Amino acid sequence: METFNNFLGGTAALFGDPIGVLIFFGGVVGGMLFGAIPGVSMLTLAAILLPFTAHLSAEHGIMLFSVIYCTGVYGGAITAILFNIPGAPENAPTAFDGYPMTQAGKAGKAVGAAVMCSAIGGTVSCVIMMFATAPIASWAISAFGPPEIFALVFFGLAVAASVGAKTFWKGWLSIMAGLMIAVVGLDPVGGIERYNFDMPYLAAGIHFIPTILGFFAVSEIFVQAEKKATGAYKAPKLSVDFPTFKELWLHKIAVVRSIIIGFFCGILPGIGATLAAFMGYNEAARWSKDRINFGKGKIEGVISSETANNSATGAAMIPLLALGLPGGALTAMMVGVFQMHDMEPGPLVFINSPDLVWVVFAAMFFANLSILLVGFLEAKTIVNLLRIPFQFLAPMILLLATVGSYAVRGLVIDVVVMFVAGVAGFFLRRSGYSVAGIVLGLILGKIGEQTFAQAMQMLHFEFSGFLNRPIAFGLLIAGAVTIAGSVYGAFFKKPPAPADSESA
Amino acid sequence: MSKLKFSHYFEVFFWLVLVAVFFGYSFEFNQNIEIYRYGATLWPRVILLLIALAAIGQFLDQRKNGDKASSNTMAAAHEEPDANPEHTGFKWYFSTFVLLAIPFIYMVVPEKIAAMRGIEEAALGQFKLISAAILFVLYLIIAWRNHVGGILALPILFASLLEDMGFYALAPVFIVGVMILMGERRSTRIALITPLIYGVLLAFFVSLLYVGLPTGNISPFYDFGNWLVTLLQ
Repeated sequence: METFNNFLGGTAALFGDPIGVLIFFGGVVGGMLFGAIPGVSMLTLAAILLPFTAHLSAEHGIMLFSVIYCTGVYGGAITAILFNIPGAPENAPTAFDGYPMTQAGKAGKAVGAAVMCSAIGGTVSCVIMMFATAPIASWAISAFGPPEIFALVFFGLAVAASVGAKTFWKGWLSIMAGLMIAVVGLDPVGGIERYNFDMPYLAAGIHFIPTILGFFAVSEIFVQAEKKATGAYKAPKLSVDFPTFKELWLHKIAVVRSIIIGFFCGILPGIGATLAAFMGYNEAARWSKDRINFGKGKIEGVISSETANNSATGAAMIPLLALGLPGGALTAMMVGVFQMHDMEPGPLVFINSPDLVWVVFAAMFFANLSILLVGFLEAKTIVNLLRIPFQFLAPMILLLATVGSYAVRGLVIDVVVMFVAGVAGFFLRRSGYSVAGIVLGLILGKIGEQTFAQAMQMLHFEFSGFLNRPIAFGLLIAGAVTIAGSVYGAFFKKPPAPADSESA
Repeated sequence: MSKLKFSHYFEVFFWLVLVAVFFGYSFEFNQNIEIYRYGATLWPRVILLLIALAAIGQFLDQRKNGDKASSNTMAAAHEEPDANPEHTGFKWYFSTFVLLAIPFIYMVVPEKIAAMRGIEEAALGQFKLISAAILFVLYLIIAWRNHVGGILALPILFASLLEDMGFYALAPVFIVGVMILMGERRSTRIALITPLIYGVLLAFFVSLLYVGLPTGNISPFYDFGNWLVTLLQ
């Protein structure tokens, strides 16, 4: 009952304040648009807005970012489906099935499924977040130390290796390449400069925003440009027929499974929506009787991925607000907003500024609901983007990406890094590697190394210490089994009948 | 039966050379950390070992199975089939490599030459402009025959010139360049769409969000950029 009263109080505070309402709707529309415009993402918007939140109150700043988070995670699905450009890594699995659906002329169904599942996943996760923040936070504090987080990162990477690339080896190499990019810069324990190659720029590490923009947005332009130049480019077919409620009801188990997976992935610091989406997708494929058709345009793939990533948004706020640990790129920027207002995110926020917490919770709840309304209206507008000839869209996307990567730190070299990543992504994709895998490795690399170092210090450098921590041990074993299974499969199982792509 | 192709040898060679270079460089920062027994090198070295193992594993797999997707990966079908044969030959790779090198030549060479010859700060700008013009002509000659390589290199060239010539002067040229390389030949369309894209971008980011984009540091580009920013804000 107290939770409900707090929620009502937060809602009243949110909608009773005209500036707050303005910021709320600005965030809803901005997050969706930036998520949906190919080549930019909610991270671009957040990065551009971050310096300006200093002029807002802490409450408004955090609320704006949380709203952008909810609607941006959904918005990224639109471009993943229509252009095969995931707005952010968490939308990558959506593209696996969403884009083939677009090519088959079923873009409307895929977008409709993304709208409904994002709203469902996000709203349910918000409600759980409101009730469960305090108890879950106290459990996570005691049960999840560095060994568990490291084990989870390991398990997440092992699972991700089998998604998206042409073979397990290429998936694994993609992730390892991402981990190596993350190594550049300062080491997390001693602050020693690594792989700077005597360049001051590299001393601070390679920033993930230009890298993500390059690997996803720019390399996609190059791939399309090559097709365009050789006449192989086909404009996606248009259609706006949303799935009926009955169609979605068929996949109710996938939705519930993804909500649970998304929530648990989201709650773990540093993992967030990306792993949620990959695992939601992976589990949907694993349990499906029609597994072989995943990746070829199954609506269940879109449903499981989009439900899971939005379900992670509510959960990701728990470690941020309860422990001060960001669950991903956007929540890391929220830490920046807190710091700009001389606040530290953490348990004290609950005591010192309960109003802030409940306004943010209420804003997230309504932002997820508004996906349903605005999402349907906006999806039809976005579908019209397909009518723009690609030679006009391409310079726009490349320039937006330029502005986005430059705005993060005001460094021209970031723009160069982005375009180099784009070229690298183009060649890697040609050879069957997974750019999503590289980006996942890049984002989880720092956290993985840091938690490994902390874990080893905690366990006095004894690997056997993992045996006494059942959660960590279980996750490590699960990861190892996943890898072993893939290696075994590569050598001892017969390859499947040639896929469509092989016959070309 | 071996199903190996040249690209398979190239792949394993690429990864192993990468591992060797990074392993060698790891001795540069191989320092002790008092509170952490494994130091700063254990993590990258383990990753390098795993890269080497995976590269060799992939090579053995390719020897047995060729290019077939393995049975236990999902979504292999979402990536497009192998690249167009027109853009895989040695000649194509070579000309693309030269195109991609042009921006980096601009970033490094003119300043080195200026330092060696003792060209003064005031004249450096002019010297860089002339270098840029020469390299741009070289780019045009090669990109004329290799459009895909031209598209890959143009954004990097654009980025390498940003510091000196600024976003405001370069963006229209860049927009026109991308459109032409992507096959647009109707000059009226180019003339209409270019100011539209340029205008929308500037209105949104410069007038509305006050994002400071690079204005360049060589006159007259610098003056133009600043004039435009003052006008818009």
